[in-house]
Amino acid sequence: MKKKTGIQIILHMLLIAGLSIVVLPMVYMVSTSLKPNGALYEYPPKFLPALEEITLENYSYILGEGKFYINFLNSVFVSTLSVLLAAVIASALGYVIARFEFPGKKFLFSFIILTMIIPGMTLIIPQYELAVKLNTINSLVGLIPFYVAWTIPYSTFMIKGFVENIPRELDEAIYMDGGSVFTVFAKIILPLAKPGIASVSIFNFLTAWEEFPWANTVINDNLKRTLPIAISGFFGQHQFTQWGYVFALSVFSLLPILLVFIFCQKFFVEGLTTGSVKG
Amino acid sequence: MKTSKKSRIEIVLLLLPGLLVFGIFTVYPIIKLFIMSFFQWDFGSMFGQSFIGLENYREVIQDKYFQTAFVNSLIYTLVTVPGQMILGLLIALLLNKIARFKVGYRVLYYLPVITSWVVASLIFKYVFNTEGLLNYFLTNVIHITIQNVHWLDTRWGGGLAVAMLLGIWKGIGWNMVVFLAALQTVPNDLYEAASIDGAGAINKFFHVTLPSIRGTILFALVMLTIGGFNVFTSTKMITGGEPGHQTDVILTWMYYKAFSTGAFGYSAALSFITTIVLACLALIQFKMMRQEDK
Repeated sequence: MKKKTGIQIILHMLLIAGLSIVVLPMVYMVSTSLKPNGALYEYPPKFLPALEEITLENYSYILGEGKFYINFLNSVFVSTLSVLLAAVIASALGYVIARFEFPGKKFLFSFIILTMIIPGMTLIIPQYELAVKLNTINSLVGLIPFYVAWTIPYSTFMIKGFVENIPRELDEAIYMDGGSVFTVFAKIILPLAKPGIASVSIFNFLTAWEEFPWANTVINDNLKRTLPIAISGFFGQHQFTQWGYVFALSVFSLLPILLVFIFCQKFFVEGLTTGSVKG
Repeated sequence: MKTSKKSRIEIVLLLLPGLLVFGIFTVYPIIKLFIMSFFQWDFGSMFGQSFIGLENYREVIQDKYFQTAFVNSLIYTLVTVPGQMILGLLIALLLNKIARFKVGYRVLYYLPVITSWVVASLIFKYVFNTEGLLNYFLTNVIHITIQNVHWLDTRWGGGLAVAMLLGIWKGIGWNMVVFLAALQTVPNDLYEAASIDGAGAINKFFHVTLPSIRGTILFALVMLTIGGFNVFTSTKMITGGEPGHQTDVILTWMYYKAFSTGAFGYSAALSFITTIVLACLALIQFKMMRQEDK
C-alpha cells in the first residue's frame, strides 16, 4: 500500500510539472492584461505584475472607450445563428442518410466525408468571388451560410452515427400510429440524438467563434468585425502594439468558451472521442 | 421502410436545406476552383480571363517561393504531429494511472485547445519578441545567451520553430483526451496476463497498450496530418511569412498570392495541388487503418 501512495505522488508531480509548462502562456496572458498599459514597454519585462500594480484599466478601455463589446455581440450573433442552423440542417441530413435509401446516397455521403479532407482555406478564392456575386462582402449575416456549410460535413457524419444507435423499433412504433417521416424526426430522432447534437454544436460554436481567415478577408468595417478580427486589428493600427489591450480583449473573448467548456464537459469529451475509439 | 409518396416528399424536404447550403457554398466553390486553375485569372478583372491549360500548375511547381512554403508545411507537419501525439499519449498514460483529480487535470491540459489560434499566436509572438520575456530570461536571468535572440526574424531559428512549438502546445490536450478514451478500452486481463508472463511496465506498454490503441493512433494521425497542412493563422500572425516569405507555409503563401497580388488562377492551382497531396496522404492512412481492421 505504501509503495502505491509513493507512485501516486510521483505521478501527480509529473502531471503538475507538465501542467505548469502548458498553462504558463495562459497565465502570462492574464497577467499582462492586468498590468498598467505604460508598464508594457518597460524593461525588464516581468512575468507577474507587482500586487499594487494590478489594474483593470485595460478592461475598462476595452469595454468602454474602445467599444469592443460591439465586436463581442457580433461574434455572439454570428456564432449562435450558425450553430442553430447547422444543428437543424445536419440533423435532417444525418437522419435521412442513416434511415433511408435514395439514389446517390452513397456518393453523397462519401463526397461529404471527402470534403472534410480539403483544407477550408483552399476554397477561399472561389468563395470570395461567390461572396462578391451574392453581395455579402462586409456583411455579418453573410458569414453565416459559409460557416454553416463548413460545419455540415463533420456534423452530419457525427449525427448520422448517433442516429444509427437509436433503435429502429421506435421509428416503427410512430409509423404504426400513423406518424410520418417528419413525426419520427421530431418525436424520436431530435430528442434522442440531443446529446450528440449538443456535442457537435459545441464544436461548431468553437469553430465559428474563433474563425479568422474568412471573416478577416470579407469584413472590413470596424463595427462589423467579429472578435478574432478585432483582436488582430490591434496590429498595424498604432506604431506600438498595445499589448495590454490585446490580452484584455483576448481574455474577454475566451470567457464564453471557457464557460461552455466547464459546464459541458461531458458533451465535449463525447464529441471528441466518438469515432476515435473503435467500439 | 416506408416509401409512400408522402414519405418521399418529406425525405426530399429534409435533404433540401442541407444540399442547397452544401451545394452552393462548398461544392460550387470546389468546381469553380478547379476551373479557375486552368485560367489566367486575375482579381479585379472578373471578365476577360483566358484559358491557359496547365500553365498555372507549371508556374506553381517551378516557383521557388512555393517550394519553400511546401517544405515548411511538410516540416511543420512532420514535427508537430509526432510531437503532440507523443506528449498527449504520455499525459494520457499518467492520467490513466492516477486515482484522483483526473477531471481537473483534463480540463487544465485542455485549455490551450480551446484558446483561439489568434489569441494563442499573439501570446507566443509576445513571449518570443526580441525584447520579450523569454530573451530577458535567457540573457539576463540565467545568462545562456549573450544578447537578445531575434527569434522571429529567421527561418529555422525562428518563425517556423515558434509556430511549431505553438502547434504542439495547442495540440497536446486533444491527443490526451482521445488517447485517454482509448486507454480506458484496453481490457485489464491483457495486462494481468502480461504480468503473469513476467512483463515489466515498458514491455506491457509496447506489447499490450500500443497494439490495443492502434486504431486510435491512426485516427489521430489522419486528423493531425490534415490539421498540419491546414496551418495558417499562427504563421500569418506570428511572422506573416517574413523575412522574405521564408517562413510562409502553403496556405499563407496561397493567401498572399491571391489577395496581395491578385493571382487567383495561380492560387487556385496551388490550392488544388494541396488538396490532391492531402487526399493521397489521407487515402494511404485510411488504407493502413483498413488493414488493421482485418
